[in-house]
Amino acid sequence: MSEETGAVPPPYVLDVSVLTELVRGGYGVMALVQQLGASGRPLVLPVLAMTAASLDLRSEDASAILYGLEKLANATAAPVKDAEQAVELAAVIAKTGLDPYDAHVAAIADASVCPILTLDAAKWRPHLHDLDEALHIVEIEDPGEGTP
Amino acid sequence: MRLLATACRPQYDPGMSDRKTRITVTVDPAMAAYAERLVKAGRADSVSAVVNEALGAARRRDHRARELFAEAAERADRAKVARMLAHVEAQAARLPASHR
Repeated sequence: MSEETGAVPPPYVLDVSVLTELVRGGYGVMALVQQLGASGRPLVLPVLAMTAASLDLRSEDASAILYGLEKLANATAAPVKDAEQAVELAAVIAKTGLDPYDAHVAAIADASVCPILTLDAAKWRPHLHDLDEALHIVEIEDPGEGTP
Repeated sequence: MRLLATACRPQYDPGMSDRKTRITVTVDPAMAAYAERLVKAGRADSVSAVVNEALGAARRRDHRARELFAEAAERADRAKVARMLAHVEAQAARLPASHR
């Protein structure tokens, strides 16, 4: 919740690049995501993107991180819950050419009017205007020392 | 199948004891059938033992997840995380009003 206004900010939808880095145990991104959740920023975890991350690294610790992620403050897993959402996901795949994992990220971001949190802005740039409404991204990047 | 493997492996867990608490639970029919099959096959002593083991496995998994996130918070380069967080929030502040 924002300290200034008391309003809950829009969620970040975590994409495959972020979830994969989490599953690999990247300390920096794990700490960052924990801080975002603890600060009141809702985090949406598309389950197909979680599947892609789980495919990237098959281990008990990798799985534990995904289970733990779902239990972080303000984090919510987002499934493909019914036929309507399945059809909408198919439409996003057809329009964007994204694989089903990141297409699920795009579909959720589009439907919920939320920015996508990514480590790979370059992957998203060609797709920002593929859907009726523009997608927006927020990139996790270290701007380097000496940067305010 | 993972439940099968762990159910048969003797291990010490301070959370497991001979003293049991009676509870009533409602589970999916398929899960109930699975537990019954384990008992009939001699791979678990009882349905209660299957449920107890499954809860123990979930607890161990959750504990490991908390350990991993705590380790990350402890070992991460805090200055770098602070810079990344500031960069994320600066981008968020520049998003259209509909997205912030």
